[in-house]
Amino acid sequence: MSKDKIGKDEWVASYQQRSAGIVGWRGALAGISERLPTWAWFALVIAIGVAIPMLTSNTYIIRVAGNIALMATLAMGLNLVVGYAGLLDLGFVAFYGVGGYVYAYLSSDFSGVHLPTGLTLIIVIGIGLLFGLLLGLPSLRLVGDYLAIVTLGFGQIFVQLMTSMTRVNLPGHERPVNLTGGPNGIVNLDPFSILGFTANTVTDYYYVLLAVMVIILIVGFHLNNSRIGRAWRSLREDELAADAMGMPTRQLKLLAFALGAAIAGLSGALFAAWQGSVFPGNFDIALLINVYAIIVLGGLGSLPGVIVGSVLMIAIPEILRNVELAGQLFYLLIIVTLIATLRPRWQSVALLVSVIVFGLILKPILVALSPASFAALEATSSGFVDTIRNWLAIPIEAKAVGNLAFGALILMILLVTRIKDMRVRFIALIPTLYLLSFVWETRLSQEPSITRLLFVGVLLIVLMIYRPNGLLGERRVEVV
Amino acid sequence: MMNLLELKNVSKHFGGLQVVNDLSLSVAPGEILSLIGPNGAGKSTVLNLITGLYQPDEGDILLNGQSLLGREIHQITRLGIARTFQNLRLFLNMSVIENVMSAAYSRTHANLFEIILRTPSFRREEARIREMAQEKLAFFGERLKGYRLDQPAYSLSYANRRRLEIARAMMTEPKLLLLDEPAAGMNPNESLEVTELIGQLRDEAGLTIILIEHDMTVVGGISDRVIALDHGVKIAEGTFEQVATDENVVEAYLGRRQENK
Amino acid sequence: MDAFLAQLPQQIINGLTLGAVYALIALGYSMVYGVLQMLNFAHGDVYMIGAFIGYGVMVALIPEGAPLITPVFIIILMLLVAMLGCGLLGVAIEQFAYRPLRNSPRLAPLISALGVSFFLQNAVQLTLTAEFRNYQTELLIPPGAGFDFGDTRLPMTRALVIVITIILMIVLQYLVRRTKLGKAMRAVAIDREAAAMMGVDVDRVIIATFFIGSALAGAAGVLTGIVFTRVWHFMGFTAGLKGFTAAVVGGIGNIPGAMLGGFLLGMTESFAVGFISPTYRDVIAFVVLVIVLLVRPRGLLGARIPQKV
Repeated sequence: MSKDKIGKDEWVASYQQRSAGIVGWRGALAGISERLPTWAWFALVIAIGVAIPMLTSNTYIIRVAGNIALMATLAMGLNLVVGYAGLLDLGFVAFYGVGGYVYAYLSSDFSGVHLPTGLTLIIVIGIGLLFGLLLGLPSLRLVGDYLAIVTLGFGQIFVQLMTSMTRVNLPGHERPVNLTGGPNGIVNLDPFSILGFTANTVTDYYYVLLAVMVIILIVGFHLNNSRIGRAWRSLREDELAADAMGMPTRQLKLLAFALGAAIAGLSGALFAAWQGSVFPGNFDIALLINVYAIIVLGGLGSLPGVIVGSVLMIAIPEILRNVELAGQLFYLLIIVTLIATLRPRWQSVALLVSVIVFGLILKPILVALSPASFAALEATSSGFVDTIRNWLAIPIEAKAVGNLAFGALILMILLVTRIKDMRVRFIALIPTLYLLSFVWETRLSQEPSITRLLFVGVLLIVLMIYRPNGLLGERRVEVV
Repeated sequence: MMNLLELKNVSKHFGGLQVVNDLSLSVAPGEILSLIGPNGAGKSTVLNLITGLYQPDEGDILLNGQSLLGREIHQITRLGIARTFQNLRLFLNMSVIENVMSAAYSRTHANLFEIILRTPSFRREEARIREMAQEKLAFFGERLKGYRLDQPAYSLSYANRRRLEIARAMMTEPKLLLLDEPAAGMNPNESLEVTELIGQLRDEAGLTIILIEHDMTVVGGISDRVIALDHGVKIAEGTFEQVATDENVVEAYLGRRQENK
Repeated sequence: MDAFLAQLPQQIINGLTLGAVYALIALGYSMVYGVLQMLNFAHGDVYMIGAFIGYGVMVALIPEGAPLITPVFIIILMLLVAMLGCGLLGVAIEQFAYRPLRNSPRLAPLISALGVSFFLQNAVQLTLTAEFRNYQTELLIPPGAGFDFGDTRLPMTRALVIVITIILMIVLQYLVRRTKLGKAMRAVAIDREAAAMMGVDVDRVIIATFFIGSALAGAAGVLTGIVFTRVWHFMGFTAGLKGFTAAVVGGIGNIPGAMLGGFLLGMTESFAVGFISPTYRDVIAFVVLVIVLLVRPRGLLGARIPQKV
């Protein structure tokens, strides 16, 4: 059996020790964060948020910031359901989609209806609540994983219905009616316009999204520190005990579902207004995984965690769009990881030198063995990334070889983590790192969008292994 | 005087196993009733039946003359029955004070809008239950006070967890408190303390108590009346002394004496 | 009504084929859930990898449209290599993504599984692009081959899928019911700790479970390729969802239940396609799932375990 299984008493014994053990900059940071009152945090977030468009006129950056605010809002809705109430809802993105489509119906020529945005939002929230209640009903009978799969099914059904309901026979109509626009979606939506303010520019939308995010943040904070928030968390901890302490568990679950859905619907409507259109593909599984990654990364049940998670999950992939910069960050990440994990520290330096020497020796050998494969290789200019490029033996058939190397790399990484002997591991790391650089240059940097998703996948696994409670999540126990 | 709680011919079986068999008992207001019996005698099942975790196959359960059958667990709690669990079911990742405050749910009224807008009435209610929770915790002296309030429940020692569970149960403002082995895993000093505490709960908080306990010093020290169960059947009832010397009870615990030597 | 009766046998055949694939996937889900009580969300992607391994073997053995060896052996090799490859993949996933999380909060392995699923999909997309690949089934099994029952035709490809599935299920039943390993599996499923104390090597049982379950998914992948010919990197998501649905409908953790659930789901879908509308096949499948779960929250054959308080 595993040796890290822990009983109640060990937990008690090790708790004080561990809390005392957090020292250094992390301890200092924790100290600061504890001393700052909550309203100061809110003020800080708002101040930074408001300042961004003033500091830059680059619409790209403002767009990314808007996206962060939008995702944070959506993630807060999910956090309510999963983080507080502990209900594993994998159909959450469907509510976001419902919000988007309802906005589209009520503000476009597709349906011929153009309601004022304020009214639309109220309807969106109402329909979100309703859908949440409807979907929450099975949750009353289903536990944990069963709930997960049913909700995941609902999410898929939503996307499928939106894609396929283009020719529906309705009573009273002679010809089949296009209800959803199908894969072509619904386009040319009315802009967001409320109380005489009409959002026209990216900056306008950014402020709308920021304002909504702050409102939802406050709502989440207030809920968490109330009888309802406590009851949700009790429910998450021990449903039976919560019930026995007088909490109506069914009502509370439904409430969590409904509120989460309403927040998601609201976010979806804002998204639709901002994008000016909705497509079924906007609400697919990739988005679901991203939102889960946000709340898991930040720490389930943590409100600041939602914001941190959104910033990381949205901003990092954006930064990686710049191939040159992505390359530098990639190598920097490797070096930092090595320095952080290898002890004693000089080992990391020795390893890096070894890898480069390994590459420099390997290259002439490979070229000598098969000169035809490397014919076109020439140094063009100098610079950090170019040096690396010359240091690696990149063949003409870079793509095919890179694919093979990718497979080999996965095997090597898995192997390295299994090696216990430090010296053997050190030696095994040399070709692994070489392969890693090779795969980056030949494949990963060439396919940034796929690389981003790969990165998300790996991040989720690694994060769960090393910090199952996320970056800002509170330490949790699950006593066995 | 009317009984606070009454079980009338209650039976419960799981599959082929008859866990509670035609059991009748009653508890008067202000009484401390102990249920004893060997492991598997059906004591915990009786508590689970009273609190609505299980529905009886036959018979009726009345609180103040009102049947509890068919009610949900939280509704029964609302009517004034609270319990602790044999295996401790605290909300481990919540703080000590939150554990207690959470149990005030059925006694508070703030709705969604009051909560989101933080209205004065919500703030008042919140302050009131915080104070009340501290009061309940203060029942245990210095142990669950001060810095401990904001520590997560999992950081508490075993004995303190048992105390916290009692405080949480009291927060639901019950008339009847069901304690499932409150002294389990405690040393003799702590057991003695629990005994005194149960007396205080009755005398000061005016509670009626049903107690399941294996520690006979606790049972003997505090019970007004004792009922012994074996295989789901009531085999003896009376004062502690009467029950403890009852032949059936001795037999249930120690086994039948060999007759033919 | 006549049209219905005329179509019925054909839809049953389609349902059995589809159901066979679902059942094979469901078995892996169910076995892993039985032993670890966790949802292996990456299971559908293991199935996808199986389909691609089969495809790779086929391409290697049929260069330029001419099979190198007898087609029957090619099919057997495709199945065996895919099963072995997927079995190993499953074990690797368990070792690296799930084992370190065995005592973490319940959500952790689930998120990790989502990560694995995402990783596998995108790894395949990176190396093999997002294009569809086509199994050249016509080179393995003559397109006309089949059995005729009156007006109904059972094509050879479908017969093959059904027969192979039944063989695999019989082998699995034997393994679980009659061997020491099977006994150990059932013991671990009932109580992991007690089994460990009784001398069962729990880690080995878990590895074996992942290997067998993933191998079955690999076989399902190859069979899908043979019947439906099209394979691509995202095929595992929907199939995994269906496999899980089948496992849940049958009662998760229950092996005969997974088989029953798979065939039931296959039938439902094929009837939905044949008699209602192909557009809504997935929608109807999930509606069935929801109904079954609402009526029997533990699935058709799942046992209701009383909660100990």
